[in-house]
Amino acid sequence: MLSRVAENLYWLSRYLERAENVARLLDIGMFLELDAADISVNDGSAPVEIALSILSCGEAYRSSKRPARSNGRGISAEQSERDNLLRFLTFDRANPQSILSMVAHARENAKGTQETLGVDIWSEINRLYLYLSGRRAQERFVSSPYRFYTKITRSCVLVEGMIVQSLPRDEVYHFLQVGLHLERAEVIGRILFAKCMSLNNPQQSWEASIQLVRWASLLRSCSAYAAYLRTESDRIDPEGVVRFLVLNPDFPRSIRYCVARCRDSLQEISGGDDDDYGDACQAERLLGRLDSDLRYIGVEEIFERGLLSFLGEIEQTCSRVGREVQQSYFCT
Amino acid sequence: MNDTETSDLFGQYHLQAYDEMFQGDGSPRPHYSALHERLQTLGLSELERRHKLADLIRRHQGITFTVYGREKGVEQIIPFDPIPRIISGPEWDRIERGLKQRVRALNLFIHDVYHERLILKDRVVPSDLVFGASGYRRECVGLQAPKDIYIHVSGIDLIRDADGSFLVLEDNCRTPSGVSYVLKNLRNIAPLGCDDPTIVVLTPGIYNSAYYEHSFLARQMGVELVEGRDLVLDRGQIFRRTTQGLKRVDVIYRRVDDDFLDPLSFRPDSMLGVAGLVGAYRAGNVGLANGLGTGVADDKGIYPFVPDFIKYYLKEEPILANVETFRPLIPAHKQHILANLESLVVKAVDASGGYGMLIGPASTAKQREEFARKIETNPRGYVAQPTISLSRHPTFVEDHIDGRHIDLRPFVLYGEEIVVMPGGLTRVALPKGSLVVNSSQGGGTKDTWVLHDHASPEAHSAVDPIAMGRS
Repeated sequence: MLSRVAENLYWLSRYLERAENVARLLDIGMFLELDAADISVNDGSAPVEIALSILSCGEAYRSSKRPARSNGRGISAEQSERDNLLRFLTFDRANPQSILSMVAHARENAKGTQETLGVDIWSEINRLYLYLSGRRAQERFVSSPYRFYTKITRSCVLVEGMIVQSLPRDEVYHFLQVGLHLERAEVIGRILFAKCMSLNNPQQSWEASIQLVRWASLLRSCSAYAAYLRTESDRIDPEGVVRFLVLNPDFPRSIRYCVARCRDSLQEISGGDDDDYGDACQAERLLGRLDSDLRYIGVEEIFERGLLSFLGEIEQTCSRVGREVQQSYFCT
Repeated sequence: MNDTETSDLFGQYHLQAYDEMFQGDGSPRPHYSALHERLQTLGLSELERRHKLADLIRRHQGITFTVYGREKGVEQIIPFDPIPRIISGPEWDRIERGLKQRVRALNLFIHDVYHERLILKDRVVPSDLVFGASGYRRECVGLQAPKDIYIHVSGIDLIRDADGSFLVLEDNCRTPSGVSYVLKNLRNIAPLGCDDPTIVVLTPGIYNSAYYEHSFLARQMGVELVEGRDLVLDRGQIFRRTTQGLKRVDVIYRRVDDDFLDPLSFRPDSMLGVAGLVGAYRAGNVGLANGLGTGVADDKGIYPFVPDFIKYYLKEEPILANVETFRPLIPAHKQHILANLESLVVKAVDASGGYGMLIGPASTAKQREEFARKIETNPRGYVAQPTISLSRHPTFVEDHIDGRHIDLRPFVLYGEEIVVMPGGLTRVALPKGSLVVNSSQGGGTKDTWVLHDHASPEAHSAVDPIAMGRS
């Protein structure tokens, strides 16, 4: 398969996965605001604002910021500020991390690979882009943010489903899966990192009930709430959440699951096996090591070593894997 | 169906020029009667609904072309008219024979020009016209094309005059857009000894206005769509960069013009081509379709001589006539042109896409002065033709059906033998009264149906949509 096409597919998958996560994060964030209005604080951990640190684009936001428009129509400066933030993360083409920018990139990549994806998958991505860049999306964003963001996540999930259901398990499929799972592992790590940082902040002593709401919201941001309750019974505590989102071998949005699938797909692409990592397979080696770490470590040890530094190491490994994949397959 | 409905659908329809669907007395031509009846049954609002649906599908599937020149390339769908154009069996038969003859002669001409040049020695066509053609490539002299085929795919533009006879308006032997067919015969031009050739389609990339078509073509053929940067020359052979390393390429169906194909041989600033491709082609290590240098046959200054090519090479009378063409290089012609600018169409010999044209009857005095000056200073650069009122076809416009001018571009494949794809691209000039069908100038497309069996036009089974070409 052409290196350019493989690269396009890999990035297309990453962009869509990230767009889906941002949409879900904002959607859940707005719900959390309703549940716990009084916890919006100015340390960057407010439910919607936290997306800035997850996407590391807080700096870009502050430098792009237009003055908060407080006008006579009963819109407070706070509301206007929040509206600016949501638009920055959703529609701003100048922000490479906005949903629209990422969908636009995904669409560009899909356009250059439509003969491998097939008409249906390509047109679904194209439709999402046309919707987001059109007038109807703007109207829906104002009238019902919930329905607006849900539409985005649904479109992304639909594309993922079409990929799983309609593509043969060849290189096309596997490069898409590598991008998807690598991105997902990274994003879950970042969401956990940002949210746990604010939850661990000793200066804020949350009431237990608010703690519970926030941990539940974290699970929802990863589409993991219902599955968590079934697996870990109904106790929501930090150990349980980390065990589930980092170490669970079977949940599709746990880091360990994503790392294993990413490695499976890379193995299918290289045709190699467990015992033989050639030079071309540095990425596989890194993922294999991370996979066994996650397999044998216990959640207590993670907390002993420090959750944040543990998550930081995972993120570093993920970006090294990304660079290795780039080097081995896209720079022929 | 009742009479009221009939008058609604075609009530305001005016007959003008040669109408494809209706005869002079207003009754539908026999080969259109089934379609005419079906349209009446559908009615206007259903037709409108289907028209919108077709547009929506095209937008979602990205069947668009990019309009250049603004800050962000604006993507537009090519307008598609829901009422198909039908060509009867006997009409098609004549077109088919005429096109085969014409393409055979054009191919012989291209070979001749780059080799023995007999046609120049015999003074059938002036040498300076040939060497001055912008599509002439000195680099191709003596170059051996596999099986002496240069024009693997061509699109010949046909129009109908007021009497209803088909005339050739233009030859497109370079990289005509609109042909999206499975091209089995590309296997024919693989390097010798290559049993299972790897074929690729070479596109300029996703920003090219015909990208959708390139992608469609690759999909239909089940081959890879590559860009210039995906290919690399290594020890005289062309390879593609894959995730498993470099893999050989044997045949390239290229949709990149000569000029941009190889920065070492042609334009050095081209980012779309492959350095060294021409060398590999010359050495017989890779097949190219179309061959190089075919643009010499597209030149409008050469066009008037194509009927002579047919007589010269094939010893046959041309089946399809040319449009009468005046050449300013001949003093008498120049006089005639300058005196009649108001009624003529003047074309730049190397332009396409409806650019660089003067349509006399629709021109202003200032435009005519400008063209008169251009013709005086560069007589080689222009030709003139009488303004031909192209045939008209019922077309869905805004909220009613009206007549619009159309042309026809059938596609001709040259492999083991010459095959004319039944159907082709029917382009329609959507602005009222316009004679320019190019999509860059407000043209749209129609489906083109060729009838197998004209003997039973009433039978629905006789209406067989064989092929649809879209640009």
